[in-house]
Amino acid sequence: MNLQDKILGIIKENVEKSDAVDLESDLRNEIGIDSFEVTMIIDALEVEFGITIDETDFQKVSTASDIVALLKQQYIRDH
Amino acid sequence: MRPEDFFAQLTVDKSAGEKTGFNPYYHTVLSGTENGVISFERENLIDLASNNYLGLACDPRVKEGIERAARTYGASLCGTPIATGYTGEMARLEKTLARFVGLEAALVFPSGYQANAALFSAIAQKQDLILVDHYAHASLIHGAKSTGCKFRPFLHNNMGHLERQLQRASSHRQVFVVTESVFSIEGSIAPIKELAELCDHYNALPVVDDSHGIGVLGTRGHGILEHADLEHFEGIYTASLGKALANAGGMVAGPANLIEYLRYYCPGLVYSTALPPSTIGGVLAVLDIIEKEFHTLSGRMWRNKAMLVDGLCGSGFEIVDSEAPITSIRCESAEQTVALSKLLFQNGIASTPFIPPSVPSHACTVRLIAGAGVSEEDMKRVLEVFQRIAVQERPGTKKSP
Ligand SMILES: Cc1ncc(COP(=O)(O)O)c(C=O)c1O
Repeated sequence: MNLQDKILGIIKENVEKSDAVDLESDLRNEIGIDSFEVTMIIDALEVEFGITIDETDFQKVSTASDIVALLKQQYIRDH
Repeated sequence: MRPEDFFAQLTVDKSAGEKTGFNPYYHTVLSGTENGVISFERENLIDLASNNYLGLACDPRVKEGIERAARTYGASLCGTPIATGYTGEMARLEKTLARFVGLEAALVFPSGYQANAALFSAIAQKQDLILVDHYAHASLIHGAKSTGCKFRPFLHNNMGHLERQLQRASSHRQVFVVTESVFSIEGSIAPIKELAELCDHYNALPVVDDSHGIGVLGTRGHGILEHADLEHFEGIYTASLGKALANAGGMVAGPANLIEYLRYYCPGLVYSTALPPSTIGGVLAVLDIIEKEFHTLSGRMWRNKAMLVDGLCGSGFEIVDSEAPITSIRCESAEQTVALSKLLFQNGIASTPFIPPSVPSHACTVRLIAGAGVSEEDMKRVLEVFQRIAVQERPGTKKSP
């Protein structure tokens, strides 16, 4: 599984309306995720990749694609 | 910040009310909720808004219990339970409640919110982990977060997600798993047996808030543990006494040594004036009625629920059905939620709209609870109103698929 699919899978596993999530859906405005879902996503990504994510970085992302880009750029460069 | 600047920045978002010309909150109530009717600003409305599940809030026997206790003890013992507030009736209520829910011992708090908010700080330590259902009541979240220990939500009623969290939790001294029995907004019921088994397997401690289950679920109305046939629940049970039990106050129940510990070390109990004797008299009267008449009362409540669901099915409203006597209508936005509640109000029906920040923006809901007090004639009137609204404009609703 490539990194993008893996991250998308983790996001889907940690939101209530997982069926509606794809790479480009706006997680807050379209899917309506709340702060608890953000916590669950961050927590799961941290465990999966052994990283510590700064929550303020997450305030800037809106889609799964953005999260993939953020992680690639700042957290898991060697992937 | 100067005081005036500080106060000036405290603002309330009333936009949904302003756009619809209707503030659905803080109505001035001018009657009790009696025979399924409540009076808001002199309008008599069919009460689908309160949590008076069994319709006992104005029962003459309950009023008598309240009056008798007030005559004996006055308004208050003007003291906390540890000082002058622990009456013989309170001791009797603790025993009765413990027996009612099938646990060893119980404690009575001034409110359900206070019980949930105070419980965790008394028992959890920094090295602990509290896992909380995503949709758990604000009081549970408040309580869990007030401890300073690690706090993690799990997806609503999703035992797979909970198990993944439990698998990763082995480094903590104690893990608590916190949920509601019946979730108050949409009426979903927690798979409590499975949850208790998971807790057992991972050495975690379940905490269940049965506020909307006590007096409602189970063949005798004894709540979630009876409903789920959980005879040996090794966890902590909390509930409000202000819903089916038709009074006010809260309870915590569990093993005797937990209760003894909280009796001395739970600040929310020890440092707060005891629940008034009149209210205790009221709860005792309700428990007595439930033991004798649950079958009849709950029969009326379930009849009303079935009428509501049958009548709304196919009407175009998006119904969030549940196994509990809570029926909710999903709306698309805060404004549409308030608009639907307004239309119901104008047609003589009291309902409860839930909009952000109480719920996420995709979960705007008008909640309907048709308790045992609502008559069959009034239920027919409710359905006529919904039919009329449905052909008119269907405010705040999506067509069902
Ligand atoms: C699930 C739940 N827990 C706790 C409470 C708080 O109980 P009380 O109203 O007795 O403070 C409520 C509602 O009021 C509730 O719905």
